Amino acid sequence: MKKLLMFICVLTFSCGKVDLLPTTASEINQKIKSYKGNKVVLLNIWALWCVPCVEEFPMIVDLDKEIDELEVIFVSADFEDQFDEVRSFLDRKGVREVSYIKQEKDEAFITGIHSSWTGSLPFTILYAKESGKIVDLWEGKESELRFRAAINIALSS
Amino acid sequence: MKRILTPILFFTFILAAELEIGASMPGMDYKLEDISGETITLTDAKGNKGTLVIFSCNTCPWVIRWEDRYVSIADTYTSKGIGVIAVNSNAARFNGDDSMEEMIRHADKNNYNFPYAQDPGSKLATEFGATKTPHIYLFDNNDMLVYRGAIDDNARNARSVDEPFLANAIDQLLSDSPIEKPISKAIGCSIKFP
Repeated sequence: MKKLLMFICVLTFSCGKVDLLPTTASEINQKIKSYKGNKVVLLNIWALWCVPCVEEFPMIVDLDKEIDELEVIFVSADFEDQFDEVRSFLDRKGVREVSYIKQEKDEAFITGIHSSWTGSLPFTILYAKESGKIVDLWEGKESELRFRAAINIALSS
Repeated sequence: MKRILTPILFFTFILAAELEIGASMPGMDYKLEDISGETITLTDAKGNKGTLVIFSCNTCPWVIRWEDRYVSIADTYTSKGIGVIAVNSNAARFNGDDSMEEMIRHADKNNYNFPYAQDPGSKLATEFGATKTPHIYLFDNNDMLVYRGAIDDNARNARSVDEPFLANAIDQLLSDSPIEKPISKAIGCSIKFP
């Protein structure tokens, strides 16, 4: 059945489309926990209107493709009326399968993700592979070097 | 050494050091460039009952959705003794979208009824620990911080607000009541430091 669905996907060229799911901080935290002991998780909260977010986005997608033990979770903080624009952006940037868009009031979402986050975008957190604990987090755009250093720590923690 | 470093990495996450509730207003005499063509300081902008400092800019979608409330709050509370000033600290964009010309145009288009000033070198934002736009700071008449954070809980629509955080804080300040919710959070655009 799965093979049949994949075949239909290939025929219709629609399988590359990302499934954009409305989400809450609680759901994201559950998702992150599910990778404990299995993968490093990189959570990146971004928005279409946020220039630094859009600038670093392709680099993060490339890291996701390059590092097998890395799971990147993108959460868009765009307004709900930009749902189609967000999905289109994700498709263009090569994000596949599932991605997320915030569907919760700001304060509950921000506090639920991390108490230190002021709400500024982009916001990135790295969770360790084995322990699942946070090894690094930052607000604002960062260099690939910073991302790789944090991922390396997370891979060995 | 690795064993010592690991817990440090796990537990010390210091983001921007935001001004704490009860802290004194910093940078009160920094000279800011107002859209009027004059220089202005926070001391100049003070009200006799309190002072509202709004870190803002011209283009952030969250500012654009919220700024109708800058005007209504200034309209309601300036006459009650609250000084209001919006500060643009996007120093990296003072030659572009946040130039003085664009600020004048933006303030005119949106009927700003308060000073709107550039923060050279983003010095004021740095002192406040402000990270985003809009980022709100309310001080009492002794220049002590009593509230920081968001305007309310609905950027999109002023009529659908459940919790008007800032208006509540100002009302409580004016009635000498404790500020029930001194800190709130909202998503915003990062300040573009030089």
